[in-house]
Amino acid sequence: MLWVDKYRPKTLDHVMVHPDIAHNLKQLVTEQDCPHLLFYGPSGSGKKTLVMALLRQMFGPGAEKVKVENRTWKVDAGSRSIDIELTTLSSAIHIELSPSDAGFQDRYVVQEVIKEMAKNRPIDTKGKKGFKVLVLNDVDKLSREAQHSLRRTMEKYSSYCRLILCCNSSSRVTEAIRSRCLNVRINAPSEEQIVEVLEFIGKKEGLQLPPGFAARIAEKSNRNLRRAILSFETCRVQQYPFTNKQTIPPMDWEEYISEIAADILNEQSPKRLFQVRGKLYELLINCIPPEIILKRLLHELLRKLDAELKHEVCHWAAYYEHRMRLGQKAIFHIEAFVAKFMSIYKSFLIATFG
Amino acid sequence: MGKRNCVLILSSEDEDCSNVRSSSSTRSYTKTKSKSTSTSSRGRKRPRASASRSNLSKLHEIDLFGDDFNEVFTGSKVSAGAHRRCADDLWIDKYKPLSLEELAVHKKKVEEVKTWFEERLKPLKGIYTNNVLIVSGQAGVGKSAAIHVIASHLGAVVCGWNTPTPVIWQEHLYNSGTGMKYTSKLDEFESFVERVRKYGLLLTSHTWESKPSSILLIDDLPLTNGKYAFGRLKDCLHLLVNSTQIPTAILFTDYGNADSADYNARCLDELKLSLESSGACKVAFNPITVNTMKKILHRICQMELCDVTAEDVDLIAKSSGGDIRHAITSLQFFCLKPNLGHSLAPSTCYPGALKDESDKPVISDDGYSLHFGRDETLSLFHALGKFLHNKRETGVATEYDHDGFLMRERLSRLPLKMDVPEKILCQAHVQPGPVADFLHENVLDFLNDEAIDDASTLSSYLGDADILLAKHRGMLSSYNEAESVLLSAAASIAVRGVLFGNSQPLSSRWHAIRRPKLWQVEKASLYKNEVDRLRIPACKRFSSYHMSIVTTEYMPMLKLLGNRGCGGGFHDPSQESLLNLEIEDFDFDKMDLDEQSRETSDDDIEDW
Repeated sequence: MLWVDKYRPKTLDHVMVHPDIAHNLKQLVTEQDCPHLLFYGPSGSGKKTLVMALLRQMFGPGAEKVKVENRTWKVDAGSRSIDIELTTLSSAIHIELSPSDAGFQDRYVVQEVIKEMAKNRPIDTKGKKGFKVLVLNDVDKLSREAQHSLRRTMEKYSSYCRLILCCNSSSRVTEAIRSRCLNVRINAPSEEQIVEVLEFIGKKEGLQLPPGFAARIAEKSNRNLRRAILSFETCRVQQYPFTNKQTIPPMDWEEYISEIAADILNEQSPKRLFQVRGKLYELLINCIPPEIILKRLLHELLRKLDAELKHEVCHWAAYYEHRMRLGQKAIFHIEAFVAKFMSIYKSFLIATFG
Repeated sequence: MGKRNCVLILSSEDEDCSNVRSSSSTRSYTKTKSKSTSTSSRGRKRPRASASRSNLSKLHEIDLFGDDFNEVFTGSKVSAGAHRRCADDLWIDKYKPLSLEELAVHKKKVEEVKTWFEERLKPLKGIYTNNVLIVSGQAGVGKSAAIHVIASHLGAVVCGWNTPTPVIWQEHLYNSGTGMKYTSKLDEFESFVERVRKYGLLLTSHTWESKPSSILLIDDLPLTNGKYAFGRLKDCLHLLVNSTQIPTAILFTDYGNADSADYNARCLDELKLSLESSGACKVAFNPITVNTMKKILHRICQMELCDVTAEDVDLIAKSSGGDIRHAITSLQFFCLKPNLGHSLAPSTCYPGALKDESDKPVISDDGYSLHFGRDETLSLFHALGKFLHNKRETGVATEYDHDGFLMRERLSRLPLKMDVPEKILCQAHVQPGPVADFLHENVLDFLNDEAIDDASTLSSYLGDADILLAKHRGMLSSYNEAESVLLSAAASIAVRGVLFGNSQPLSSRWHAIRRPKLWQVEKASLYKNEVDRLRIPACKRFSSYHMSIVTTEYMPMLKLLGNRGCGGGFHDPSQESLLNLEIEDFDFDKMDLDEQSRETSDDDIEDW
């Protein structure tokens, strides 16, 4: 088992990174009925961990007996019926899925799943009708229609089930949903917290950590705890008695993007743009999400950029990112951003160096 | 009124003529009647008339179609008696080329065909093993006319296979009581070929002028349905190619690329290739150039004494798409039209009046009159080429001044040297999505090396198009008017964006147009997604992650962890399978890239 999973805190009491939030959640669950919840925060900050721990708190260890299955839902959509296939993770008391994987058919999924859950309600030991929990990942990637239908189902079936929604940014979740949930913001862990976790893992594994080593990993991890633990483990596999000079292995796709950034800064011409497109395709083939590509690319470009250009470049990045969300073919928009950047940068170079 | 009657007569007689023509494969026959009334300078055709008559009798021998023959014969008598009517004959027949010079086909091609026949018609035969010539070309470029003219030039007789009238199955059932036997056209054709191979053409019996040489012309091949019938036809023609003693010309009509989805057209292509491979000679006729066409149309105008302006002739020539037959018919129609419009006017039409009226409809229709002219179709690549090459007038840039507003210099462009982009799109019959993809894939090749600004405007426009197209996604079932407008708007934006963005078009040079790599990328990433999805549950089953996390964080790390296994000393079979997958996956990536780099597809349009 990977360390990320091995040392994932199982209960709310053991949570290391957001102890205060964990404490509050525990009180919430023990004292009264739980409302719908919306967890949001950057990736690798511990949302999913908290959710799992919370489920365990609510239902006991039974929540951990999960099975993964590929399920197909038959949805009757007016004139025709659609088959939608999704991977779900479920136990007796909860179902977890990412409806946004269904693409534009996501709205059917949400409704269908909730209806099905409502049909067979579990009965708890005291004979009272209990409720199930539906965990939805990536709610921010849901289409607008799906979010609307989610809102309606939330109200209609609120006595049968509780929703726990997870997303990276609450700004893309509609106001209506946000107001129906208890919003829990999960911050990215600070570097000190990451160091603390890494040292804890090191101790458990019986490893000698040279001073400052954990800090370097934490710094590289971009305040993403999952990433930090993963790269910690990689370091361990690559070279055990840790040395202070040991390189922290970078992500290959990030390397690749910084290569692209260097290409862009070296030459600005349609021909170069074409080469860049080829490299972007490579990333897309490897399923790196286009938003992340664009973000990382901007990050790399800004590092080597003159201060007076930064503002404009950021503006255009935001502009094209928005268009990318509206559109369908991400490459068109990433490429448009690259072209725009090249154009700006070139005229800047001409203006300053003649 | 007189004129109108005349027209009526013409139409009825037309039917006669067409009857005659359809039953006699040699068109020269129809020509004889028309020619006798036209200019007397064409004395040469008298021998031809007799030739064709003898020809007819030969046809009798060949086809054993007694009924048809009788019909033809009586028909010929009637028309021979009534010369006058033929003054109003169709112009295509009236002005059929009679000499090599009059042919609209390119001289070199004519020469090629002529020498081929000359060589084979020489007394010492038998040197050539292949006696079959394949003439291919679009409809109406003068394939059969060329053969006929060359034959008459060489003093040879053209014999042909009479296409029998097809018998419909129901009709056959109806007739079956009378004892007629049903034979498929293919059977008939086969037996015809068989006879030709074995005995040659039986010429001698009826000719009164001894014609030593003859040419066999196979104009239309029987239609075949299905693989089996097609195979038979192929074998049969193959035999013909290998063993015929008579110089034989087989005419193939090429259909445009637009029709290539048609099964029969593809069959013909295949047939052509197989014939070539078995030793037949091939000559391809190109569409007739506009200049040649204009020359011919002018000549006809002069002879008909109708005064058509040069622009009109120009228009007709351009709109006919290289089809001379069509052009001449259009011209005739065009010259006729004013009279039809004024049926009550006196029968005489003098050129002056004709001109005045004929001007109007042409101009009223915004530049291109479509009273005549074929509906032109463009192939996808042709259309894309137009957009990408972005040809513009080189004239002054002050073109827009009369529109009442001035444009800033960086926004103004020279006028386009093509039709309206939307019209081209329409002619190319393409979906807006693929158009945008193709433009996106290829446009960078057509940009000036310095023009990164252009690239940026242009890619923004393509982005706009994509946004419009994305609105459409997932609504395929509910097609409605508004959405189709949206789609056309998207295509229009993509195209015009490309045209506008490329402010300094390169001088045109040759570029292969690639097929969008994007399609492959989409497919490949879907596949990879599936593979990863399969891989993850095997590795860990505690919690599900979204794909983005898996691909950005787990996968790279797993690659690094690689052969040491996950974590400290943890080993299980799933790990092994994971490694195997990794290797396969790597191969897949590589292979995929190779494939993509190899793919410069001009030809595999069918693939998608």
